[in-house]
Order: sequence, then structure tokens, then C-alpha cells
Amino acid sequence: MTMCRGSCQGAGRPDMTPVYPTAGSYPDFARLVNRDTAQVDRRVFSDEAVYQAELRQIFARAWLFLAHESQIPGPGDFIRTSMGEDDVIIVRQRDGSVKALLNSCPHRGNRVCMVDAGSKARGFICNYHGWSFGLDGGLRGTDGKVYEKDESFEKAQIGLTPVAQVASYKGLIFGTFDPEAPSLEEFLGDFTFYLDIMLDNEEGGTEFVGGAIRSEIDCNWKFPAENFVGDILHAFWTHQSGAQAILGGGVDLGKRYDELAFQASVYGHGIETNLDKVGNTRTLGYPELVDYVFDLSERARARLGEVRARAIGAVSSATVFPNMSFLPGQNTFRVWHPRGPGKIELVSWTIVNRNAPERIKDLYRKGVMMTFSPGGVFEMDDGENWEYSTRVNQGFVTRQQPLHYALGLGSEDLERNLPGIVHKGSLNDANQRLFYTRWAEFMEHDNWADLQNGATAAPARTRAAAE
Amino acid sequence: MTDILDISRPFTAYDRPADAETERAVTRFLNAEARTLDREAYQEWLDHFVDEDIHYWMPDMETRNRSDARGPYRHGDSAYFDDTLSELKVRVARFVEPSAWADNPATRHLHLISNIEVYETGDPSLLAVCSAFTNVRNRNETDQDVIHGRREDVLRRHGDDFRLARRRILIVQNVLLSKNLNTFL
Amino acid sequence: MIELCNSTDVVEGEILRRDVDGLPAVALTRHEGQIFVFPDTCPHAEESLSEGWVEDGRVVCGVHFAEFELGSGEVHNRPAGCPNLTFFTCEDRDGKVFARLKEEA
Repeated sequence: MTMCRGSCQGAGRPDMTPVYPTAGSYPDFARLVNRDTAQVDRRVFSDEAVYQAELRQIFARAWLFLAHESQIPGPGDFIRTSMGEDDVIIVRQRDGSVKALLNSCPHRGNRVCMVDAGSKARGFICNYHGWSFGLDGGLRGTDGKVYEKDESFEKAQIGLTPVAQVASYKGLIFGTFDPEAPSLEEFLGDFTFYLDIMLDNEEGGTEFVGGAIRSEIDCNWKFPAENFVGDILHAFWTHQSGAQAILGGGVDLGKRYDELAFQASVYGHGIETNLDKVGNTRTLGYPELVDYVFDLSERARARLGEVRARAIGAVSSATVFPNMSFLPGQNTFRVWHPRGPGKIELVSWTIVNRNAPERIKDLYRKGVMMTFSPGGVFEMDDGENWEYSTRVNQGFVTRQQPLHYALGLGSEDLERNLPGIVHKGSLNDANQRLFYTRWAEFMEHDNWADLQNGATAAPARTRAAAE
Repeated sequence: MTDILDISRPFTAYDRPADAETERAVTRFLNAEARTLDREAYQEWLDHFVDEDIHYWMPDMETRNRSDARGPYRHGDSAYFDDTLSELKVRVARFVEPSAWADNPATRHLHLISNIEVYETGDPSLLAVCSAFTNVRNRNETDQDVIHGRREDVLRRHGDDFRLARRRILIVQNVLLSKNLNTFL
Repeated sequence: MIELCNSTDVVEGEILRRDVDGLPAVALTRHEGQIFVFPDTCPHAEESLSEGWVEDGRVVCGVHFAEFELGSGEVHNRPAGCPNLTFFTCEDRDGKVFARLKEEA
């Protein structure tokens, strides 16, 4: 597009519609994931061109977690976050709905909201030239008294670019830049069955503890996402020291550990879980929380059924594709924002049941701080693994060596009547393979019909049967 | 509880500076503490520098508008540390495990302490102590993390010595520019 | 004085805009029963104050959030260069609102 020089038609108003690249404008990056050999090419973790394609094909199209409803309870309450590397403002409107706006002035592009969060905002004013935007993103006015008289300027047509779609699932607000994307519920698919373990185990739903912990890790965003999607195996080796500190013993769940456990995946979202009721909760180190979860699990059986009620506090982890993760029972909730192929910003919160006693909420806050926070006895040892898994790929020969993701090939569980693609045992690479299969689908396909009907789609089993 | 031990309260009165001898003794205490942490002698730190009723708090620092009544941090919200002695002991228990991979091989630590000010309080057994710090951690070949911040400590006199009864740690970073916090500040 | 509207048109907490022949538009509001009349144009960036709102006894411009005290017109949360707002003398007479919009002989 060439810039109008003032002599064009339509009183010189430039067309501001952006043009996005399509999958065909990139090399065939989908082939970097080889499903037949269960291998992943290391360039997915280090290559700048792959990363730029991810920002377009994945982060500009997938539904991404934006905020918890409890963070912005009233009109004008807002938080600032990222969608990929795009800075966005999530703000409650006067009618109670939520809008997400690109945090960039349409004039010179400056960021209009500089803070992490705030309440009862009247709007957002750009510091550069005083352009003022309402809570709905619409331009209210400027500071120069000159624009209104200029024919290139039509106030009603200028504003902060809205995120195309915003929707909530049980307290979690998501958004997508893609107006063509299917509904949030279709994007999550049957994975909502598993999200409910954390989001809907009790009347009243959930809320976030105030504030957030932000930190930088020099790793590719997919390492932590795949870790939470299905890698409980690492806990036995990586987290020996943390388990010893809190539980007085290494991570050892006994010989029968994997008999009840399973992995389930839908559209690349995945959960690995045992059914031990309180395995995760125990690692927070507070017996009161273990008692609370035992009780909660009993009460939740009517609501969630036996399997999910046992998973509320069990050894378990989950990722919603691409970059939102949580630990049921341990109650850390986090997003891995990409910041280049070799860096992330990790934002983490503590999620609690809204109707839990205040004492319980505070113990969760403290327990998460002790375990999954930069000073936490588990998270400390994760970061270094992910950093070096990323950084060694600077070596040319090193990054030609494929990575092994073949544990549990052929272990699909066709008998267990649960939603999603289910695999036996949780010591299994199954969910990670499906995470990268989903990644490849996003890199390959431009239309959502292909995206929603490929290898990561759940087989047609009824949820009713599972419940 | 004496008000000054309340972790949610910032220091306010700086009108009763301690005498030079007390100030020197406190400075010696803080420098010795820093050297103990540099040596990763965490059990010694608990045994000789920390009191039974320690409250050790480091909130996350939010970026907020000046007009925002909440301010950049609030006790009870997210924090890096909000520990009693039993919780500090858990952290120390991990450090001494050979499989604490983020500490094996060892991290090289340096705690630089400066801007020390010592004030008497309403309780003759308690001193209010302000200091600033630079914490440097270097690991493996080129990994380096630097954190700057301020501390508001309450020290309790134990004969000629002191013990830490309260520590508020306010860092200048919003996003922690490090993958972890494998140290005490 | 110039007749602007019926006094019942001026509602507590809301801002009413009135165009007057030959003069800049004016705005009216009612606060704790009393009627106030002021220029509709914000003295800062010439935006319409009737698109703003009344909060805690102040008119708030909806564009840069300058706040003007009702009556005195004293500016708070002041954008650079923004002067106070000059309120007009007004009267509620026989159910009609009148205001002195310019110096009259």
C-alpha cells in the first residue's frame, strides 16, 4: 500500500486496513514436526523465521488467555497483558461486558496504557499528543485543536484496534485477533471437561489472588508449555530437591503410580493426571490444605463425577494451547508470553475457589509462592532446564539433531470412556506429541475447517457417557 | 504485636538516629550476614542472624498510576516471599540437596549492602534499620543476574548481638529480570 | 438574560447541551437541586463538555478528564494550559431557566 499524498479520492482519508501474510508466504515449517517418527526438529526452538511465523499463524489466530473476570470486577477496571508480543488492554465496559484493545495509538503507535492494572479508569490518553480514547477504544478527542478541521481526519473512524473476539469460559477471559476463528467453546472443544476440574469444582467458581508475579526466562515458549501439557516424568528427576525439602522424601508415588493415571488431549490442549486426590496439594506443604481438598473432593463427586473429583488435588498438570498452563490442586496459573525465540515473560497467579475460607486462600497463596514462583523450590529448577534446552541450539550441528518424543507410542486408551484423545498412564510423551501436532496444524493451515478437523480433534465420544 | 513488627507497615519516623556505637554494631551485623549468604551458608544464616518470629516479605512491584490508591504492592497479594521461620527452613532444605540443579554447579553470589541507617524505636529492644542492596549472581559461564533494592529491617537486640525480626524487601524491578531467586536478599 | 429551557429539562447529575442563536453552545446541569450553566466547549481542547459527566460536584471533560468545580469553575486534574471554566449567572424563574450569556448593558 502506498501512502496517500493528498491528491487521492475520498478527501485523502488513507485506508488503514492491514494485510496479513498467509501460511503460503512461509516455508513449510509444519514438516519440522514428524509425527511418524515422533521427532521434533530443534529449529522450532531457535529459528527466528519460525518464530515470526508462529506470531502470525498461532498467536494472531488462536484464542489466548487474557484475564480472570475477578481481576476486573467493575466498569473501568483494566489490566494490561500480551497476546503474543502484542500489547493489549483488557477493560470492563460500563455495561459489564469486556473489551480487549490493542495498546497502541493509531497516530504514532505509542503505548496508551503504561501500567499493569488499575481500577475505575475513565479512558486512556496517549502521552505523546494527548489523543484520548474511551473505555470502548473509540477516539474521544485530541489535544491540538487542529484535527477536527483537517479533512483527513474522521474521529468516529479512528480508535484503538479492538481484539476481534473476546469471550469467557467460567471466569477465564480469552481473546483472538482472528474474526474468522470459531467460538471459544469450539476452540476449547471437549477440553472444557478437564478445565472444570479446576474451574467448576464448587459453587461460586474461582478468583485470582491480587497482583501477579512476572519473570523472564531465556527459553523458547514451547518448552514450558509442553512441560505442563504432559511431562510429569521430569518431576521425578528435576524436582527431587524440592520434594525432599517439602515432603521429606523424593518424588516417589509408589510402584502402582501409573495405573490410574492418564493423559487426555483435545486440539493440542492437554492434561496429565493421576487420581490420587491430593498429590499436588500435598506438595504445597500445608496439612490444612490437604484436609480442605479431601473434603472438596468428596463434595465435588456429585458435580464432577468420580474421576474428576479425584483429580482436583491429584498430581496433575495442564496446558491450553498455545501458552496458558495450570496445576490443579497446586493452584498456580500462568501464561508463557513469547519474547523472541529464546525468551519468555512468565506471568503467574494463584487461583482459588471464590467460596473458600480466607485462611485457605492465603495458604494457597503462600504454597504457590513456596513452590511455583521464582523463589519456589520447584520452579527454580525448571527454569534452568528450559534455558539450556533452548540455548544449546545455537550450535549449528546441535540444532540438526532431532529430539525424541516417542515415549508411549501406541499407548492410546480406546476403552476408557473419557473425552479427548486419551492415553494410558501419565509417564508418556503422548500429549506433547499432540501439542506439536497442533503446532504443525497451525503452521500449515489458513482455514479453521482444516484446523478443527485434523489429527488433534477429539474422537466422537459423548461427554455424557464420561460423566 | 508491636506496631513496628507489623510487616504491612512502612517505616515512618526517622527522628531518633541510634548512637554511633549502635550504628557500627548494626553495620557489622549486616556485613557479616551478607558474607554468610555469599558463602551459601544458609543454615548458619538461620541459626545466627534470624529470630524465631521472623517475618520475611518481598512483594511483587506492580506498575501503577500515581493516582492509584492501591499502590505498587500490598500485603496479602502476590509476593516472592512472605515467610515465617518454618517456611524459610523449607527453602534452605532445598538448597542443601545435591539435586538442587539450579544450584549445582554452585552459583557465585555477591551481596553488596549500603546506605545503612539505624533508628531507635518505641521499644528499646528493637531497632529500625534501612539499607540498600545490590545482589549479583553469576552461574556457569555467562549467566548473570543483578537485583537492586531496599530493605526495611527490624533488628532485635540479643545481648551484644542482634537477630532479624522483620525484613521488608522492595526491589526496583517489575518483571523480575531473572529466571529464579535462588538466594535470600 | 436569555431563556434556555424548562427547568424540568435539567436533570440531577446529567448534562444538557443547548444551542443558542449567534452564541457558542451552552451546557446545563443540576447538582443537589441547584442549576448550573456553563460553556459547552471545554477551554482546554475545545471538546464538548456535554459529552463528559458530573462527578463529586465537578464537571469532567470526557476527553482529557479536566475537572471543573460547579460554580467556581476552578480546574483540577488540569491538562497543560487549561484555564478555569467561567460559569454563567443563571436563574430558575417560573419553571424556565434563564442565563446571562454575554455582558448586557
